[in-house]
Amino acid sequence: METTLDSLLLGFSVAFRPDVLWYAFLGCLVGTLVGMLPGIGPLAGISILLPITFGLDATKAIVMLAGIYYGSQYGGSTTSILLRIPGEAASVMTCIDGNAMARKGRAGPALCIAAVGSFIAGTFGVIMLTVIAPPLAVVALRFGPPEYTALLVLGLIFLAYMSTGSLVRTLLMAALGLLFGTVGIDVMTGHFRYSFDIPELGDGLGIVPVAVGLFGLGEILATPSRQVAGPVHRPRLRELWPSRQEWRQARMPIARGSLLGFLIGIIPGSAHIISSFLSYAVERRVSAHPEEFGKGAVAGVAGPESANNAASTGAFVPMLALGIPTGPVTAVLIAALLIHGIPPGPTLVADHPNVFWGFVASMYVGNLMLLALNLPLVGLFVNLLRIPYAYLYPLIIMFCVIGVYEVNHSIVDVWIMLIMGVVGYALKKFKFDPAPLVLGLVIAPIFEMSLRQSLIMSDGGWLIFVQRPIALALLVVSAALLALSALSFLSARRDWRARLAEEAADS
Amino acid sequence: MLKADHVAGGAFVVLGLVVFALSGELPFGTLSQPGAGMMPKLAAGLMMAFAVVLMATARDGEPFSAIDWRDGGHAALVVAIAAAAAALYTTLGFILTMSLLVFALLVVVERKHPLPAALYAVALTLAAYWLFGKALKAPVPRGLLGF
Repeated sequence: METTLDSLLLGFSVAFRPDVLWYAFLGCLVGTLVGMLPGIGPLAGISILLPITFGLDATKAIVMLAGIYYGSQYGGSTTSILLRIPGEAASVMTCIDGNAMARKGRAGPALCIAAVGSFIAGTFGVIMLTVIAPPLAVVALRFGPPEYTALLVLGLIFLAYMSTGSLVRTLLMAALGLLFGTVGIDVMTGHFRYSFDIPELGDGLGIVPVAVGLFGLGEILATPSRQVAGPVHRPRLRELWPSRQEWRQARMPIARGSLLGFLIGIIPGSAHIISSFLSYAVERRVSAHPEEFGKGAVAGVAGPESANNAASTGAFVPMLALGIPTGPVTAVLIAALLIHGIPPGPTLVADHPNVFWGFVASMYVGNLMLLALNLPLVGLFVNLLRIPYAYLYPLIIMFCVIGVYEVNHSIVDVWIMLIMGVVGYALKKFKFDPAPLVLGLVIAPIFEMSLRQSLIMSDGGWLIFVQRPIALALLVVSAALLALSALSFLSARRDWRARLAEEAADS
Repeated sequence: MLKADHVAGGAFVVLGLVVFALSGELPFGTLSQPGAGMMPKLAAGLMMAFAVVLMATARDGEPFSAIDWRDGGHAALVVAIAAAAAALYTTLGFILTMSLLVFALLVVVERKHPLPAALYAVALTLAAYWLFGKALKAPVPRGLLGF
């Protein structure tokens, strides 16, 4: 514990450097804006702005990009509450009761409860990250290729199990992602796979063009400007403070949402989205007045908003300690660290303590900044929502092109982004969630490499995966989860995932 | 009745078949020594299997005719303009291409008046050029005209 505190102090000495503070602030500010604006989520925001960090050192880059991620969870609530449009997917559940509160004249307290809940959950998440990530990294040092293979299998199964959509659709998207991930040179044999004599494809499909295309451009294609709402209420500072009763109603949902969100955050999938859905379902289940949900229940805002913030912080645990992405956003953040020559994973804490602890400490500071940004300045941010969407989306498309091009200075990447934009549009029409596709794309090369390395280690024997205790345990959990999912699919039973999907659709 | 999942599943099966057709020269290897073709063929096979399950369970799904394609025209125009920008980007350079991209989106897709659209497009592009090209020193394409 003493070592952790010493390390955290080292982190604060990095985080309080004026230049690091500035980039943390910039990330939080951009994240708030990205979260507020419909049509551009945290993944597209981070991917588009990734090239801006090329000139920075690794600490400033990761501090800024992570600020965009957790900042967007704060910002998303503003649009949900005031316009009933989720600024980003994790805020879908906040639309229901947040907007109902706004229609009852309680927009200010809804925004305040969302911001305070986000702050408490975000800070709780960082404390847990501080405590859990370093010892987990020590354990992960014992992981070899078989353990990583089993862990990635578990990750994919978890993704399917936790998905709010159908199991088949999620697995289909993950398989498509795995297929996309095989494009490029096979590093073990030197064979070119599906590169069609285009040299740039030899390096594979980059995560940035694919993510920006699917989530940024795809969203814009499906959102004609006439469908975006117009006038918006601008709350005043004195209207923000909730009543004593509202605080009482928010207390326990914030606590439950923080814990639930963090736990879901550390397992693979679109954790911040799932956690808000689950938190909403839990709050309605435990509420003494479930009939109030949908009509402006304070718990319907406090729970999901806390959960999505805690989950976004929880997702950093496997990313930093194991070097494994739990979702597309952490996959892009891993890519950002790799661009700066810092491999995330078990060796990060020991080899780059400044980056790791500076990043963790900056999140404590960042959550405070976000509270300050999202409460007194909410009226100012709301002005942004008044910019006509017809003028806003050309700017986003321009940033998509610039951002994607600047990663590798490759026009091929821009074409990939355009194709993925069309794919994203089509997937949206047929109600497929592209998040498992992106995760599959990232996991495919790591999975293939660790699988083949394991087989080389065992002279081609597959028993290596059951002879090593950690790998065996991970595979047993995978099999159990797969059996549970298959059971509910075969019996056509409406389980908790189906009910959550219906709630999301109804909202 | 034709369901949306029939069409989607069918498209994924066709994609899988195309992948298998393109993978002819990639060695599959053996289970103990996987070749370069094993992973993509397994992924394509899994994708096709899930697509078949999707089609088989499509009975209660949404009809294909119920999908709202009214935003298709908007999407096609945006893609066409963005594709033109991608094709011209390295030839015309940053400032000209981005100005034309924003101008075309505003005038062609959004039916805005050309004069304010032009002013907005140029101002936005110059601001982006300053941010990326000057403040962040990112090497943006200069094109034939040198800017």
